[in-house]
Amino acid sequence: MDLSLVWKAALALGALSFLFGALLAIAYLFFKVETDPRLDELLEAVLGSNCGACGYPGCEPACEAVLKGEAGVDVCVAGGQKCADAVAKIMGVEATVSERGVALVHCKGGLSESTPKAIYRGIDSCAAADKIAGGFKACDYGCLGLGTCKDACPVNAIFLDENRCRQVDRERCTGCGLCVEVCPRGLIELVPRDQEALVMCNSADKGAKARKTCSVSCYACKKCEKVCEFDAIEVVNNCARIDYEKCTQCGKCIEACPNDVIVRVKPAKEHGKAPSAVA
Amino acid sequence: MNEAYRYFLIFLGALLIYNILLIRFIALCPLIGVSTQVETSIGMAMSVLFVMTMATTASWVAWNYILEPLGVGEFLYIPVFILIIASLVQFTEMFIKKVSPPLYRAMGIYLPLITTNCAVLAAATESVKPGFLKLNIPYNFSLPEALIYTIGVALGFGLVLIIFACIRERLETSPIPHSFKGAPIAFIIAALLSLAFMGFANLLGL
Repeated sequence: MDLSLVWKAALALGALSFLFGALLAIAYLFFKVETDPRLDELLEAVLGSNCGACGYPGCEPACEAVLKGEAGVDVCVAGGQKCADAVAKIMGVEATVSERGVALVHCKGGLSESTPKAIYRGIDSCAAADKIAGGFKACDYGCLGLGTCKDACPVNAIFLDENRCRQVDRERCTGCGLCVEVCPRGLIELVPRDQEALVMCNSADKGAKARKTCSVSCYACKKCEKVCEFDAIEVVNNCARIDYEKCTQCGKCIEACPNDVIVRVKPAKEHGKAPSAVA
Repeated sequence: MNEAYRYFLIFLGALLIYNILLIRFIALCPLIGVSTQVETSIGMAMSVLFVMTMATTASWVAWNYILEPLGVGEFLYIPVFILIIASLVQFTEMFIKKVSPPLYRAMGIYLPLITTNCAVLAAATESVKPGFLKLNIPYNFSLPEALIYTIGVALGFGLVLIIFACIRERLETSPIPHSFKGAPIAFIIAALLSLAFMGFANLLGL
């Protein structure tokens, strides 16, 4: 057995480790980039899902803009008050910001409720399907269920169930509003987080046609309008609309609705930290 | 065999005939992982070309002037090459961050990934340590030969990665059965591409 090998191996590996360690240390001294220590704190403070709702290409550019004074402390629009407070604390200023809502799709007509008009076998995109003869559903206003909003959501808060009807995970939704922009039918709206009574239809069709096109459509019977004591619900363009400022969540319209178009949901709590984007 | 022809054979062998991704199935993780967009795959290909060339040069020097004279290469080459690659990647990251922030932002995520990229270690090992290379060419490689071999491997890697990314971008809008979407169809495409590359086998007697 040749023990000198041990020494040689230790020497070779040790010398190389020492050499590279020293080189990296020297390189670090030369190439060190001075970054504002507040940048890392800011990145922790914002939601960090790179959703782009603030108008910057990602969370890091947005935080840099805050440091430069180009953006206000409420830069993280999806994070709402909580993030603005945290950012303001780091920057040493007071924060005021308006509450962000939660996404609501004004339609509950999945494959089994909505009457089909045609069979669609094209690209999996609502915008494409909408362009061909006004979509494949008899209802010209409802959700096409191809998941364009799902693909746009940066925090996976929107998903499709077996009925091809999309659901919003209200706890996950950060209210960034990206889905609002991509929906070709303008079905998605940001509603206040504490709103419990919601209208799940967008159909502007008159009574008889609305009934034919979908089994869960609002056919403008106006029962909700009559039953509301606070003047908070109104039928506009053949579809009920709730004024969230006036609504007290009493639930009378929900009971009155003959077609279960108005539903009660649990109020969405303040959302947690979004899962960070995978590299 | 004349000099230029030997260089040409080494290059062609590394690039196509023994393509690192599709014939030998080394470094499959970036093939699936960073091939969803052409832009990012180009970034990855450039990073790999750069790091691979540097790593092979350093490994060649370490092998021929340290490991081989001391007679410890046989059992020490993996830790030493890993050390070299990891240090190089770290250095490159610092260097790019200082010199070109936009490039750093474009390549930032891929650099740390390359540290543990099997293709880089494979190229470094193959071009210096006899007995790894499957090419039908006698070697020990001289430094220029090792470099040409490495550049061939890196370009082969980039070529396949970019072809693959182009195909996957088109797959996005294709009507694929639900259960095949994503990774399954990517693996099927990889297999078909591999079949195509098998066609180069035995070209020029390699």
